[in-house]
Amino acid sequence: MIMTGSAIIQFPQKDLGLTLSEDKVVKKLVEAAKLVSQIYLKQENFKQNGANFYPRDATKSEIEIAARENPDILSPYTMVERGKNGKLVAIPYHIKFKKDLEKVAKLILEAAKITDNKDFAKRLKVQADALLDGNYTASDIYWLSLKPYKINFVIGPIERYDDKLFFTKCSYQSWVGIMNEKYTTDAVRFKNFVVSSRRKVLAASEKVDFLDKIQIRVDDTLIFSGLIARFMFTSANLPNDVNMMEKHGSESTIFIPCFEKKFQDERYPIYQTIFDRSVESPFSVEEIKSGALRNSYLHEISHPLLRYRDSERRLREFFPIFDEIAASTLGIKACGSLLLKDAISQKEFESILLMYIVLGFSWWISYLKEPSVVHYAQGFAIAINYFVENGSIRLNDGKMLPNFTKMYLSISELSDALERILAVGTYEDAKNFVDKYASLNIFTRFKQDLKQVA
Amino acid sequence: MQTKIRKFLLTEEGLVHLRNEHEELTRVERAEVVERIQKAREFGDLAENSEYDAAKEAQSLLEARIAELQEVLHGAQIVEKSTESDFVVIGSTVIVQMNDEEHEFRIVGSMEANPADRKISNDSPVGKALLGLKTGETIEIGVGPVKSTIKVLQIN
Repeated sequence: MIMTGSAIIQFPQKDLGLTLSEDKVVKKLVEAAKLVSQIYLKQENFKQNGANFYPRDATKSEIEIAARENPDILSPYTMVERGKNGKLVAIPYHIKFKKDLEKVAKLILEAAKITDNKDFAKRLKVQADALLDGNYTASDIYWLSLKPYKINFVIGPIERYDDKLFFTKCSYQSWVGIMNEKYTTDAVRFKNFVVSSRRKVLAASEKVDFLDKIQIRVDDTLIFSGLIARFMFTSANLPNDVNMMEKHGSESTIFIPCFEKKFQDERYPIYQTIFDRSVESPFSVEEIKSGALRNSYLHEISHPLLRYRDSERRLREFFPIFDEIAASTLGIKACGSLLLKDAISQKEFESILLMYIVLGFSWWISYLKEPSVVHYAQGFAIAINYFVENGSIRLNDGKMLPNFTKMYLSISELSDALERILAVGTYEDAKNFVDKYASLNIFTRFKQDLKQVA
Repeated sequence: MQTKIRKFLLTEEGLVHLRNEHEELTRVERAEVVERIQKAREFGDLAENSEYDAAKEAQSLLEARIAELQEVLHGAQIVEKSTESDFVVIGSTVIVQMNDEEHEFRIVGSMEANPADRKISNDSPVGKALLGLKTGETIEIGVGPVKSTIKVLQIN
C-alpha cells in the first residue's frame, strides 16, 4: 500500500488479468480518481465540526434559520459561504469546483473512448456529465442498472461523515477496483442465502423493499481517493438515498486490499489478544480470516434489508449507531439457518461469531484514530455489553470467553431489538438503549493489552 | 469378493443434471485440459513452468470430479417424484417457518444439494428433521450453538 498524500491511497496489484485496452481504461480512471483528492482537501477541515462546508463563523442556529429561507443551504451538494451582504449563500459543488471537475471529467471521457464495453462507456459519459452539471441521480441510476463488470469505478460527492454539524454535506471520493472472481462468488452465495428467506417485517408500510435488486462484489482495489482514503473502509454500500435504493437497488463493494491490511495489522492481533486461549486454539488463521471477510459480506448484504423510510428523522444523531450495528447483527442472525441447512460448517459459523466481537474492537481502535467513526464503535459496544450482561460472554482473567450457544440466542434477540428501534422506535427509545449499553469502557479495559495494535 | 456399490438418492432432474455434467467434462473439458498441458509444455523447462503446473492441477481436479460423478451415476437411485404427498419426502418443495423467518426450499439428495439455489440435502440437519413431517407439524432442531423450532407451513 502506497500513501501518496493524505487523501490518496494506492494499492499495488500484480496480475489482474486485464486486456491491453482495459489496462489503459483503468490507468485513466486512476488518474481521474487522484484528481478528486484535490477537491476533497478543499472540503475537509478536521478542526471544524462543519469542516469547510460552512463559514467558520456561522453558528448551527444561523445555518438552520438561513436554510428555512433557502433549502439549498442544507443540500448535500452545496458549499455554504457568506455573501457580501453577510447573508449565507449556497454554491453548488459543480460550480464551486468547476475547474477541478473539468479535468476529472476529461480523463473519464478519455477512458470512455478507449473501453470496448459499450455499457461501461455510456456509464462513464453519464458520470462525467453528472460531475459537471451536478445531476447525480441519472448517473446513480445508470450505475445501478449496469450488469456486474470487471472494472468498478465510483466517483463523486458521496459520504457525509465530515459534516459533523448536520451529517448532510457529502465529501468527494473515488475508488477504482477490479472484480475478484473467487471472493465475489462466495459473497454472492451468501447474499443468495440471506435474501432467500422472508423475514417478519416490522412497520411494513415504512419498510423499503428491493431484495431482487441487491448486488454485491469483492474487488481488488487499486486506489482510494478523497474521504475514503482517510477512513480506509473495508466495504461500502451505495447509494445512501433510501428512495433511490427502493427504485433502483443497491451495490455493496468489499475492498480486498484494505480488508487484508486491516486483518493483518489489526483484526488478527486483536483476536489473538482478547480471547481466552481455549477459544482461540481450534481455529487456523485462514478460518479466522474467512470469518472476518464474511462479517463484511453479511454487514453489507444486511444493510439494505433494514431500510425504513423515516428512521433517520426519528432517531436523529442516534441513527448511524443503530443503522450500522443492526446490519452487522442481522447478518449473523441469518447465518444460523445456513448452519442448519449445511451451507456452512459449525466451525465456519463460530469463526464468524468470534470475528463479530473482534470487529467491535477494531472499530474502537479506528475511533481512537478517527473520532468521526464513533457510531460504529458505540454500535458494537451495545452488542458486546449486551452479551456480557446476559452471560453470553464471560470475562475471565482479563480475557473474553464466549458461550456460542448463548451468544447466538442473544444475537437473535438483539437483532430484533435493534430493528424494532429502526422501524418504529422513538428518539427516547434510541437514547435509552445507547445510555444503557453503548459505553466504550468494555473496550478500554483491554487498552493495555492492545497497546501494540491501538 | 463383491464390491459394495454406494447408493446415491437423486431426483430425476438431478440425475439428468449430473449426466450432463459428466458428458461435458468427459467430452469437452478433458480434451481442453490436455491441449492446455501440451501448450504449456511448449513454453519449455517444466521445473519452472507455472502454466504447466496450473494445467496439471486443473487436470487432476477434473479427473477427480469425473471419478466422483461416475461413482454417483453408477449407484444412482431415483427418488419417485412426489405427487401431492401429505408428508415431506425427498423431492418435496416445502415452505417452513424457522423462528421468525419463512424459508422455501426443495429437499434433495446430498449430491444435488445447493443451499444457495434453495436445494437442501436430505442429510442436512434441516433435511433430516423435516422428512416425514406433515403440514402444521413442528420440530426442534439444533446444531452446535444454533437451536431452532421449525414449522411446516406448506408441502408441494
